[in-house]
Amino acid sequence: MTDIRKVLIANRGEIACRIIRTLMRMGIRSVLICHPCEAEGAAAGMADEVVEIEGDPPVSAYLDVDGIIRACKDTGAEAVHPGFGFLAENASFAERLGGEGIRFIGPTPDAIRLMGNKLAARDFCRSLGIPVVPCAREEDGDFMERLKALVFPLLLKAVAGGGGKAMHEVMEETRLKETINLAKEEALRYFGEGSVYGEKLLRDPRHVEVQLLADRYGSVVHLGERDCSIQRRFQKIIEESPAPGLDPELRQELLSSAVKIAKEAGYESAGTVEFLLDGQGRFYFLEMNTRIQVEHPVTEMVTGLDLVEQQIRIAAGDPLPFTQKDIIIKGHAVEARLYAEDPESDFQPSTGRILSLRLPEGIGIRVDHALEKGMNVTHAFDPMLAKVIACGEDRHKALDLLGSALERTVILGVTTNREYLQRIIGHHAMRGGKVHTGFITSNDLKAPQLEDRQRKMLLAAAALVSRQFTDPEFAVPEPYAAIGDWIN
Amino acid sequence: MRRCIELLGHRYEVSLNGPSGKTMIKIEDRPPESSSLTTEEGSSFILALGEDTLPMEIARTGEEVFIHAFGRHFYLRILDPVEQAAQAAGSKGDTARAPMPGVVVETAVRPGDIVTRGTPLMTIESMKILTVIKAPREGIVIKVHVENGKPFNKNAPLVTLGEGRERPL
Repeated sequence: MTDIRKVLIANRGEIACRIIRTLMRMGIRSVLICHPCEAEGAAAGMADEVVEIEGDPPVSAYLDVDGIIRACKDTGAEAVHPGFGFLAENASFAERLGGEGIRFIGPTPDAIRLMGNKLAARDFCRSLGIPVVPCAREEDGDFMERLKALVFPLLLKAVAGGGGKAMHEVMEETRLKETINLAKEEALRYFGEGSVYGEKLLRDPRHVEVQLLADRYGSVVHLGERDCSIQRRFQKIIEESPAPGLDPELRQELLSSAVKIAKEAGYESAGTVEFLLDGQGRFYFLEMNTRIQVEHPVTEMVTGLDLVEQQIRIAAGDPLPFTQKDIIIKGHAVEARLYAEDPESDFQPSTGRILSLRLPEGIGIRVDHALEKGMNVTHAFDPMLAKVIACGEDRHKALDLLGSALERTVILGVTTNREYLQRIIGHHAMRGGKVHTGFITSNDLKAPQLEDRQRKMLLAAAALVSRQFTDPEFAVPEPYAAIGDWIN
Repeated sequence: MRRCIELLGHRYEVSLNGPSGKTMIKIEDRPPESSSLTTEEGSSFILALGEDTLPMEIARTGEEVFIHAFGRHFYLRILDPVEQAAQAAGSKGDTARAPMPGVVVETAVRPGDIVTRGTPLMTIESMKILTVIKAPREGIVIKVHVENGKPFNKNAPLVTLGEGRERPL
C-alpha cells in the first residue's frame, strides 16, 4: 500500500476535481494550488487545503515551479500530481521535485525528456522497428528543399511540441516560407524552443492511441486503445474506446508496439502512445504522451480501473496489482468535450458568465467538470468546460446515451459546442464508425434551419424578458426576479 | 416598446404593447399575437404565444439573452438604440475589431503611420494561435486601442484607421 499521505495538485479545473476525488477515496489529503481568481472555484472547494499563488497572467501561477515547491514544503505534501498541460511534461520540474525529496506522480525525467523531444522519440521508435511518417528536419540543412522532397501537402510541427499547438498544414510551396516562420514563432512562444520539423501529411488518417500502465519493476500492461479521430484544429473533441471497426491484427500490432516502446524506454506510470492509421492498413508512431490524458475516462469506464489511483500507487513504489490477462475491456465508452467556443464562427473561444447550469446524470453517464452557476468563463484559461462520457453495452448504445446526455445538458450564458457535439454523435458517418481526422471538414454538420414559428417564440421570449429591465412600468418582481441577479 | 433583436445574424423589429398579462407582440410586419412569459422555478419559463405554449430556460445579462428551447441553445442580443443609430449613420469599417477574445502580442503600427490594404497592424493570440490583424483598406492609423500584452474581448476595437489626410488623435 502507498505511503503517500498528502498530495499537491499542480493543476486546476475539472482535472483537479477529478484527482481530488480519487485522493478522497484513497484517504490521502489534498493540497490544491490556485490563482486567487479561482479561489472560489469548485476545485478549491473540494481540496483539504488551498495555497494561493499569484501570477499575471493567471496561467503563470500553475507554471510557478518555485511557488509549487514552497507550497509542498509549507503544507508537508509528499508528492505532486501535475494533471495534464502546465508542468505535466516538464522534465526539469520533475527533476527539481526529486531534488527536493518530493515525488512526481508521473514518469522519470529521462522518459519525459525522451518523449518530449518529438524527433528523439521518433528516432527511438524507428530504432525499435516501429514505422514513423517520413519527415524533414531543420538541422539537416537545406530545410526547404528537404521539405519539398517530401511532396506536398506537409505538416509542420514543433520539435518540443504537443497538444496541437504550433502545428500547420502546408498545401503548396508558395505558402511554405511564411508558414515555417509562423510555426517557429509559435513554437518559441509555447515551448520555449523554435525548432520545427516537417512531416508528410497523411490524408484523412485515423488517430488511435494505446493507454499504458507501467511500474518501476518493468511490468507494462495496456488498457486497450482509444480512437480520437474527431478533431478540430488538431485537438480532439470526441474520443471512444474501443476503436470502431479496427482490424484485429492491426489492433494487436498497435497494442504490442505501444507496450514495446514503454518497456524499451524504461517507462513508469500512466502513458499513451499515439498512432496514425492510413487508409491502407498501415500505422505510424505519432508521439507518446507521458501523462494522464484528457480522454482517460473512456478507458476507465471500459476497464473499471481508476488511472489516477494507479499513477499514485506506481509513484509510491507499488508493483502493478494485475497482469495483462486480468485486464478485461467491457462495453463501449464515448467522451465528448464541451468547449466554450462557437462552432459557427470557426470554433472561436467564447467568454461569459454561466447563468444557468444543468448537467446530465444517470447510469452509464459520467461528467468531469469544475463548473458552478455564476462562474465567469474567461480567456485566461483553456476553454474546455466539461467532459461528458457515456458507457453502454455496445457502441450504438453508448452513442445513444451520450446524445441524450448532451441533450439534457443546459449551459446558458456562454456559447458552447454542445449542439455541434450532438450533431456529430447523431451523424450517420459517426454511427457507421467512419471516423478520421478530416471528419469535421468533410461532413455536413451545419445547424438545422430555424422554423418561422420557433423564431417568433424566441424573439417574443427575449422581448418579454428584456422589457422588465428597460421599462420601469413593467418592474413587477415576479416572475422575473428569479433572473434579476444577473443585471450588470 | 420597440426593440431590435439580433438572432443568428439577423435583426428583427419587435414591439410589445399592453400591460403585463395582456401583452400583444408584433414581429416585423406580421399580425400581432397575444403573449406572456411565466416562471416555473429558477430559470425555467413557459412562453405563451397565440395558441402555443412552450417551456424554455432563459437567462439574461445586460443586453444578452440566452434561451434553451427545442433542445437547442440560442443567443439573442437586444440592440442598444444608440449603437443602432451609430451603425445606421454608416461607419465604413474604420476600426479593426477583434475577431475573437485574446491578447495582443505585438503591435506593428503607431498612430500616424500610413497603411495600405493588407498591411499587418497587430499580432494577436487567441486559442494558442497567433493571428495577424491586417488593415482592411488604406488609411492612416489614428488609434491603437489595446497595448501589448493586454487582453481584449471579442469585437473589441483594436486599431482605428482614418482617411489619408486625417491627423492622429
